[in-house]
Amino acid sequence: MMNASDNKFSQERIERSRCEELAKSSSFYRKVYSEIEEIGWEPLRRLGGDLTFFSFHILDKKGRAHILEIQLNRDYPNSPPSLSADVPYMFTLEWSINSRLKDVMHQFQKHLDNLQEFWSVLDDIDKSFSVVDAKQPSRASSLRRIHAGNDCIIIVHINFNDPKSLPECRFIGHVPPSTMHMNSLHMLWRRNSKKWSKEKSFPENLECILGIELPKPPGLLQMEDDQQQVECGICYAQFLPTDEELGARSGTRTDYTCENISCNKSFHSLCLTDWLRSITTTRQSFDVLFGNCPYCSDPVAVKINNK
Amino acid sequence: MTSSGAPSRKALSKIASNRLQKELVEWQMNPPTGFKLNLTDNLQRWVIEVIGAPGTLYANDTYQLQVDFPEHYPMESPQVIFLPPAPLHPHIYSNGHICLDILYDSWSPAMTVSSICISILSMLSSSTEKQGPIDNDRYVKNCKNGRSPKQTRWWFHDDKV
Repeated sequence: MMNASDNKFSQERIERSRCEELAKSSSFYRKVYSEIEEIGWEPLRRLGGDLTFFSFHILDKKGRAHILEIQLNRDYPNSPPSLSADVPYMFTLEWSINSRLKDVMHQFQKHLDNLQEFWSVLDDIDKSFSVVDAKQPSRASSLRRIHAGNDCIIIVHINFNDPKSLPECRFIGHVPPSTMHMNSLHMLWRRNSKKWSKEKSFPENLECILGIELPKPPGLLQMEDDQQQVECGICYAQFLPTDEELGARSGTRTDYTCENISCNKSFHSLCLTDWLRSITTTRQSFDVLFGNCPYCSDPVAVKINNK
Repeated sequence: MTSSGAPSRKALSKIASNRLQKELVEWQMNPPTGFKLNLTDNLQRWVIEVIGAPGTLYANDTYQLQVDFPEHYPMESPQVIFLPPAPLHPHIYSNGHICLDILYDSWSPAMTVSSICISILSMLSSSTEKQGPIDNDRYVKNCKNGRSPKQTRWWFHDDKV
């Protein structure tokens, strides 16, 4: 049985360790808070109540959106943060006791830069062919299943280290007419794969080797019919005018869509940038403008393209 | 309130004139009730006839709105004024200037000439007295030389009418 003084002593100890714990955690919060501040609050998408978990919204050079999730240990920055993102492979974080979250962001941005060509190839496939996978395949995936007609499917695997090289390719067909089609495609592939050229785009290479035109994505025909969807909500045109001032962007299509699904308005990023720059509530972080969709007022982030 | 003079009459940009042509087509196919556009060959200035809504103080009155589009429409709002004689309304000055937020600070390229017209008609319809703004004389005196209402720093304090 404990006597009164023992009891008091142990209470004091508990109290002291609680204070130490609090002091530690408050310096942890201050540190994390100031490091998030360095990056800016705009790209911050989620924040755990105890500041050990958060995620950032980052646009790559082509304006593709990525989410980087960061998990901190209580002994941060002694141990590096753990990261996850929709990338085919994660980079090795260079970390020292003096590193900060903005260094993580820089390294991630560099990693995204390295993957630009890889995603361009995949986007090109999604745009040109009828792809079996979900409407928006994960950015981490390096596989595409492409409809080849006659119930036959081609599975391609893009090498993220060398995305323009000859991909691994498998052909799948289940019942007789499709198996025949599959066998002939497979034969053509083996015979002609030497023709693969890094100079040509993926769709060109594939159709050239197989000698056939592959089915187009179903969305494409629909989209061409449904002009409303692709007109810019600001200039009302599908294509920008041809104009000296616009330079390389003359005649380009809408390339930005509001992420709010119930709004889904399309814009030329040029028009949206012009609008966001003309109002005072817009904020800029590096080369990204943060403001609101003129239609639904949800947050939008557009990369400034100076080309 | 330092700058003065008429709105700059720089020609419409390509983007602005494309968009206005589409708005014009849409207006002709689907004109807002109570409005009549008097077509001229000047795309940059629209003169629109407004007919007061039945059952309101302005029933059967007709007024004329003049809409001038800036070079970089729709990044900037159009200038909208009533041609004399302007309706007597607590938010409409006798020089035709209209105190309505969407024409200035709250403009967005999601709005159109047609949606502006509807807002103006609804502003007229909800008025309970045919009377000009309290500060009418002072304001109008300050706006000599055809100054644009877009150069006024408006206060939008009353959303009842």
